[in-house]
Amino acid sequence: MLPLEDVRVLDFMWALAGPGTTRALADYGATVVRIESANRVDGARTVGPFKNNQPAHDGSGLFGTYNAGKLGLGLDLSKPGAREVILDLVRWADVVCESFSPKAMRAWRLDYDSLRVIKPDLIMLSSCLMGQTGPLSGFTGFGTMAAAVSGFYNLCGWPDRAPSGPFGAYTDYVAPRFGAVAVLAALDYRKRTGKGQYIDQAQAESALHFLGPALLDCAANGRMSQGLGNDDPNYAPHGVYPALGNDCWVAIACLTEEHWRQLCSVMARDDLVSNKSFARLPDRQLNRGELDQIIGAWTGSRSAGAAELLLQGAGVPAAAVKDSRGVCQDEQLASRGYLIEIDHPACGKTVIEGSRFVLSRTPASISRPAPIVGGDNQYVLQSILGYDEERIGELLTAGALQ
Amino acid sequence: MLSPYRVLDLTTERGFLCGQILGDLGADVIKIEPPGGSPARLLAPFFEDQADPNRSLYWWAYNRNKRSITLNLETDQGRELLYRLVAGARFLIESYDPGFLNERRLGYADLAAHNRELIHVSITPFGQAGPKAAYADSDLVILAMGGPLLLYGDEDRAPVRLSVPQAYLHACGDAAIGALVANHECNRSGTGQHVDVSAQQSVTLATQANNLAYRLQADESRRMAGGVKVGAMRVPLVWRAKDGFVTLVFLFGPQLGVFSQRLMNCLYEERRCDIATRDKDWISYGALLASGEEPMQEYERVVGVIAGFLASRTKADLFSLALERGLLIAPVATVGEVLASPQLEARQYWRVLEHPELGRAFPYPGPFARFSETPIIYRRRPPLVGEHNYEVYSRELGLSAEQIRDLAQREIV
Repeated sequence: MLPLEDVRVLDFMWALAGPGTTRALADYGATVVRIESANRVDGARTVGPFKNNQPAHDGSGLFGTYNAGKLGLGLDLSKPGAREVILDLVRWADVVCESFSPKAMRAWRLDYDSLRVIKPDLIMLSSCLMGQTGPLSGFTGFGTMAAAVSGFYNLCGWPDRAPSGPFGAYTDYVAPRFGAVAVLAALDYRKRTGKGQYIDQAQAESALHFLGPALLDCAANGRMSQGLGNDDPNYAPHGVYPALGNDCWVAIACLTEEHWRQLCSVMARDDLVSNKSFARLPDRQLNRGELDQIIGAWTGSRSAGAAELLLQGAGVPAAAVKDSRGVCQDEQLASRGYLIEIDHPACGKTVIEGSRFVLSRTPASISRPAPIVGGDNQYVLQSILGYDEERIGELLTAGALQ
Repeated sequence: MLSPYRVLDLTTERGFLCGQILGDLGADVIKIEPPGGSPARLLAPFFEDQADPNRSLYWWAYNRNKRSITLNLETDQGRELLYRLVAGARFLIESYDPGFLNERRLGYADLAAHNRELIHVSITPFGQAGPKAAYADSDLVILAMGGPLLLYGDEDRAPVRLSVPQAYLHACGDAAIGALVANHECNRSGTGQHVDVSAQQSVTLATQANNLAYRLQADESRRMAGGVKVGAMRVPLVWRAKDGFVTLVFLFGPQLGVFSQRLMNCLYEERRCDIATRDKDWISYGALLASGEEPMQEYERVVGVIAGFLASRTKADLFSLALERGLLIAPVATVGEVLASPQLEARQYWRVLEHPELGRAFPYPGPFARFSETPIIYRRRPPLVGEHNYEVYSRELGLSAEQIRDLAQREIV
């Protein structure tokens, strides 16, 4: 029996931050019924990478990864009968999750105060960019924007240039962790007390926990951190150096004096250890530019993989910077079941990411690929809600099931 | 919310955040440090730039809502004390290199013998086993090996990381989920288990599934100054405003195209573009570019028009416009602007913790979520080294003052 096999989730999440939360629950056995209308499909279906580079709603590796293991119920809320289906699912569910802008659930009368009337011990998670209250609660958009307003962009880049920003919708990589933890803790509390509750998650507020030292440095010292390139206040050398080949790089970080001595030894530059420009950490920090040139000259004449092996062989933290191919072929990740091949009813054999952590006794089980819109209508309506053929027929006729 | 549970936090700087998340949720988290304190207390930045074990802002950021005791795990007596603590705990979190605790008879099997319910969470660079499990690691190295690093930065320079280390924070988030999933199961079965977290695998989430491109035979995204390249398309995300930078998503398709149409309506009203430009098919625009029906130069021209408009307005102006007209524009905030955010102030986000030993108080990042029934409370500022030794060893484990003095003399606590 999987750990969360007794947990039932009604999932209105879309895009990334929300679905990432419920994916983690589905991996460990929660039954997740995902509501999506064919009249307005989840935008994540329109974002790549796509299988064989063919944009298709069921071919997105992004959507496929974030929604594996969930059931798909196609429902158009504007149609007669649809609301009753939702309310029946609320009665069935332990947890309702949604990630619309704050006014949407209220407009549909599906907000917590409306739903707790029919399900007093309901746990409901609302996740949006800035939270349900405050002057910017109506600010909607994507994780790129939440990452910009919460400081991530300005902390990623080079001191002499405009900010580079991290790749993609960064807060969407942070928020799912806090969202899943919040739901699990609320379930634990409910089990002991019988009480449900409402959880208001501002993705930006969760994400700020990943910038703690910089925020405290500003609050306590008045220092305004900015992107430092690859410099680190605690270590030198610390950088990403060119290797042979197109866009090939080696990351090297000397965290200890021993790492530094070993690096010099591997480069056959033991003279640097006693060179007064580099002897102590503060010297190396002061002369970073010169040091980086010396290391770059050494890495530049070999492949990234060869440099990694030489340095790791000497115990120096170093790695070839991997592209998609490198990650897909990485033996370490493969040994943990990072990628999973799965058959999808619409797009055939495809690949998704597995659970990112391993439970020794009750490991994750990804039971099904991400749903096609409405792909599990029959199962959800008949087996979960116990509707008969007649009732399902009425919903179909009303156009509610799309 | 998790107040019935005790968490023993043996983590090094790799794993601090996991225990803090559980502490924020109300668990009783005891940070166990080696005598003299965790070496991570000497990580910069420091309050007033004075290197001191009780002034590390790195430590402060990830250790609130914990108590601290010191314990020497290299001694038999130290280990015995840990076994006694384990007997009363639900979780133990650690981030030593694989094998380190086994060699000291403190592995999962050793500890579970003292408490069947124990959930032992290991946060390591690459996981407990596998061909590279013993690789030397750092934040940068993990980001390089998990996929995100190559995607961040400018195309004419080396890839660049976020200047606040991130890799282990992702791992800690996953560790907290794993811990609570195992806890849910333990409440049913009465048996704990081992949770194995690999930071390398955790950071794969930060590639937005770009890691899959090779296996799917799809275009891989590439880094670009202030944006991203996908296939032949250059997608700018960071744009220059009059007084700094903003982010703007200018993309197409049934959902994003609607926002681009609104943006073009604004540009037309501002006399920045003609009607023909405004009325391009922004929903299908991506497909038109892909097929070549719309030349890439025309897209680049429109991007130039948008850039000209944004550069003439302040960040605040543009943000107001975005809110009023429903545009995908947000200011690129500095750390100072984040601290002064009216939104965060209105939500009373910052939580002030007193540091009586310094005679000062500081605003900490606030609750990661708002719980209606069990709000997150900031009960304790990050602890001083061994601040709760007496409380835990005497009052909770029942050692006499003499026994504690003896342990201290032998450098066990």
